[in-house]
Amino acid sequence: MKNILYIALFSSLLIFSSCKDEEVPATMAMNITIEHVLDGQALELNGKSFTLPSGEDFTPKKFKYYISNVVLTNSKTGETYTEMDSYHLISEDGNKNINLGMIPSSNYDQLTFSIGVDEVANGKIDQTGDLDPNSDMAWNWNTGYKFLVLEGEFTNASSGDRQGLIMHIGTNDNFKTLSQPLSGVKAGMTTSINLTSNLDELFLDPNTLEISELESTTIMFGEVAAQVAENYSNGFFTVK
Amino acid sequence: MRFQFPSWLGLIGMCGLISCGNTEEEPITGPTQISLDAPDYFPSTIAMPTDNPLTAEGVQLGRMLFYEKKLSADGTVSCGSCHQQQKAFSDGNQFSFGVSDSIGDMNSMSLSNLHWQTKFFWNGRAISLEDQAIQPIEDEREMNLPIEEAVNRLQADAKYPSLFKNAFGTSEISSNLIGKALSQFERTLISANSKFDAWIRNEVELSPEEQLGLELFFTHPEPTLQLRGGNCSDCHIGFLTAGDSEGLAGFHNNGLDSEENLSLGLMEITGNSFDRGKFKAPGLRNIALTAPYMHDGRFQTLEEVLDHYNGHIQNNSTLDVLILEASNELPDGSGNVKLHLSDDEKAAIIAFLHTLTDQQFIANPKFSDPFN
Repeated sequence: MKNILYIALFSSLLIFSSCKDEEVPATMAMNITIEHVLDGQALELNGKSFTLPSGEDFTPKKFKYYISNVVLTNSKTGETYTEMDSYHLISEDGNKNINLGMIPSSNYDQLTFSIGVDEVANGKIDQTGDLDPNSDMAWNWNTGYKFLVLEGEFTNASSGDRQGLIMHIGTNDNFKTLSQPLSGVKAGMTTSINLTSNLDELFLDPNTLEISELESTTIMFGEVAAQVAENYSNGFFTVK
Repeated sequence: MRFQFPSWLGLIGMCGLISCGNTEEEPITGPTQISLDAPDYFPSTIAMPTDNPLTAEGVQLGRMLFYEKKLSADGTVSCGSCHQQQKAFSDGNQFSFGVSDSIGDMNSMSLSNLHWQTKFFWNGRAISLEDQAIQPIEDEREMNLPIEEAVNRLQADAKYPSLFKNAFGTSEISSNLIGKALSQFERTLISANSKFDAWIRNEVELSPEEQLGLELFFTHPEPTLQLRGGNCSDCHIGFLTAGDSEGLAGFHNNGLDSEENLSLGLMEITGNSFDRGKFKAPGLRNIALTAPYMHDGRFQTLEEVLDHYNGHIQNNSTLDVLILEASNELPDGSGNVKLHLSDDEKAAIIAFLHTLTDQQFIANPKFSDPFN
């Protein structure tokens, strides 16, 4: 009988404590969604033609890249949340979502992440999950991962020929880290951050690319790849 | 102050356990769930379909159905007729023969590592293995048996109703369950004991020629950087050397025909002219055993295949950009699409392709005809 009394007391305590006041919960749900835009329109990979900043037409066929090492910062308090094992393969045909799950509550005002795979992870390919080398993002056993892949076709402005554009950007020099200010994130509130990745910015800012003028439209290593990487570290992502 | 665990909480816990025990249902007797015996370097992210878990009884039944000639109109042909184990489950013919010597218009695909694929048939018309598995039964050029008739024949058979009961809990046979059993067996057809696998597992070295072939296989060429490549892995991806499983990315137009002669391919399914002439990039495991090659079996040897990719690509409006833009030499202004591999490099790629042959796979007694 005494036990039953204790149970009743304990249960009521539980009930009271769970709906007691407006104290901020210790954790909050955080999700990041990404959409891909080219020339102001949602990206499609089914044969739809888009216009590049140069005015050239472009029909994309494949678009995927790595977002890694996601960090959220509250610059006022100095609190940070760093995602562990943070590698996300984002693909127009596949996943466009980063679910951080329940993270410590804070008024985060900055989102930091990298495009590509850091030097440590890029030095081996016996990895699983989004780094599984069975996706077509691992080059081979020596070269590491492609950080960003864009493939499609365009009409060469001078010859009029149908031509392919193969952008396979990788190598440690092209691993770029960027930060975005966040507004309206409230500690304890379920939050969804909507990122837009603007493909125009691969061809712009600071390096303007006219693909018909390129010596080779296979952009893999070398100077043009480095220019594209500079471009994607600059204005490629915006928080909606 | 350390939090003291009150003893009565333990009592509540006990009560909880007891009540669980009381409501527990009788132990479920049913098929024995098993898991695929796949190496850890195959993708781990592909789940088994929730409505068709792999079971020992389902696989056993699927194996029997795979070799069951009753599933053809005149009882002469089974799945195993066009998918023969010693040829890595292909049949060696340009086009396969169905009942009454009727002939198809596609080359029989080799079967292995199917669990990691998402679209089936050369034109991708089946979106699951379960959906794929029953189509050849009804196809008039293949087994030519209406599926209701297939169900009736199995239902009237002395052994099948109880085998379905063991595998699926019901002896009432349906086309749905036939597809499920067949796909369970097909998922177990894992080929992962080739020399290439032994190399991945660090058990053997490749010969210098095979090693060169491997590097060429997995490299897209970039002539401005003198990076030489055979451009194979752009479509035959990763350790599986199979097509991309995401979206329609695993379908390609590989330059077999001129614009006028382009067949529909994937466009037959999507209705999108962007997909004209695109076919499924098959996995290349055991490729040395599965001649002839291409969706229409037009090439007899791997040498012919390499010659095609190296120098005889037909440019057309949907030619894959990964082929259009792949060359080991800078453009010569002719507009021809050529890979420009040397004879030695072609031979090296073929040597590498032979390391994909898996003798244990083609001799595995678990995959053979149980009626023999």
